[in-house]
Amino acid sequence: MMNKSNIPEVGANFAEGEQGKWGMVIDRDLCTGCQACVAACSMENNVAFVGEEDSGYGRSMHWIRIERFWEGEYPEVKMTSQQPVLCQQCGHAPCEPVCPPFAAVHSQAEQLNLQVYNRCVGTRYCANNCPYQVRVFNWRDYTDDRLDPALVTLKNQYNPDVTVRRRGVMEKCTFCIQRIHKAQDKAKSEGREVADGEFTTACAQACPANAITFGRVDNPESLVSQLAGQNRGSKLLEELGTLPQVTYLNGG
Amino acid sequence: MIKRIFDWLRQPLGLVAVGIAFLALFSLAAYGIYYTQQPPAQPIQFPHKTHVAFGIQCLYCHPGAERGPSPGLPSTAKCWACHQQIAKTQTSLLLAPLVESVRTGVPVQWVPVAQVPDFVQYNHRPHIAAGLNCEDCHGDLTKMTIYENPQVMNMGWCLNCHKEKSAGNPELETKLLDCGTCHY
Repeated sequence: MMNKSNIPEVGANFAEGEQGKWGMVIDRDLCTGCQACVAACSMENNVAFVGEEDSGYGRSMHWIRIERFWEGEYPEVKMTSQQPVLCQQCGHAPCEPVCPPFAAVHSQAEQLNLQVYNRCVGTRYCANNCPYQVRVFNWRDYTDDRLDPALVTLKNQYNPDVTVRRRGVMEKCTFCIQRIHKAQDKAKSEGREVADGEFTTACAQACPANAITFGRVDNPESLVSQLAGQNRGSKLLEELGTLPQVTYLNGG
Repeated sequence: MIKRIFDWLRQPLGLVAVGIAFLALFSLAAYGIYYTQQPPAQPIQFPHKTHVAFGIQCLYCHPGAERGPSPGLPSTAKCWACHQQIAKTQTSLLLAPLVESVRTGVPVQWVPVAQVPDFVQYNHRPHIAAGLNCEDCHGDLTKMTIYENPQVMNMGWCLNCHKEKSAGNPELETKLLDCGTCHY
């Protein structure tokens, strides 16, 4: 299928027909574009608020965004559908081979694209090479309360399981790897496997329409595999050969 | 100009000045190294060796190590459960902060010593479950008063052990040497 990479840290070495490990299905017919996933993701993953000025420069940080589609000309505009776009956790990710210090590496254990914050030096190659435009960069120390005393009050709402990123670091969706680890740890301490639907990502948990489903794609019994197996599924920019792990359902 | 400075430095007074400047720099560096190697000041000079000598298990005061990421520091109530029965507690000057804490309800402000940076997500439970003992990482507490790290806790030290324990088991090796196991 794909040329096996010489560098073990870059790209998944999928055998023929292998799917990866964790996957997501997003039903565009159910998505109402309410942005609950965006808010939940920011809360879960300590994503910084960049403020009005930096937002104007296009530096707003979200690990998931809602893309809108519409028909007609203004003012006769009809919203047709919404599409939440997050890191597709590509099996053959364009962001990985371009990172000079190997901060964007492929987790062989979880089959996810990792961003190792302490390795990242902020070259921003990965974001420029990402066809989905889902990587965001910390242009400032948005979390440093020495610069903005108002941030002191936000300290207690950080998720302790996720690193608080500092300036000059690229970040992106991790498929809530902290929840994956927590569920695996709990399952292991009880001597069993992680059950399907036992845990989910913050975005999927928050979605009021249940448009987002998360689970194991290598398990044909899981809900996510069964949804992805429907013939109305498609993947974003699949023709690039990135092997995305997110399936979009449309036209039900 | 530079030649004049060199000429001045070569005369006896100049040599003394150079000597004093060298000594000042050397002692500043020595003080700096000494100062950064000191364990932080604790509110109570907690003698680990005394408590271990009484046969108290590590997990009695740090029970979180068996259950989750953080072993936790004992609360005032836990100290007091034993210490209220010890007459010396009331008179000892060293234990005054504990008595004060019980009286006011303000917790004792222990300073954590075995810390990893924010970008490391460490979990005690799998390490204990894998059969490691506390002293494998934290040193021999029967000889320590205030806790000190027996070695520098850096990534090389972590990975050495991870490599050792996962050698010959490809599945475990993938898991234990994966960046995403600790960094996210």
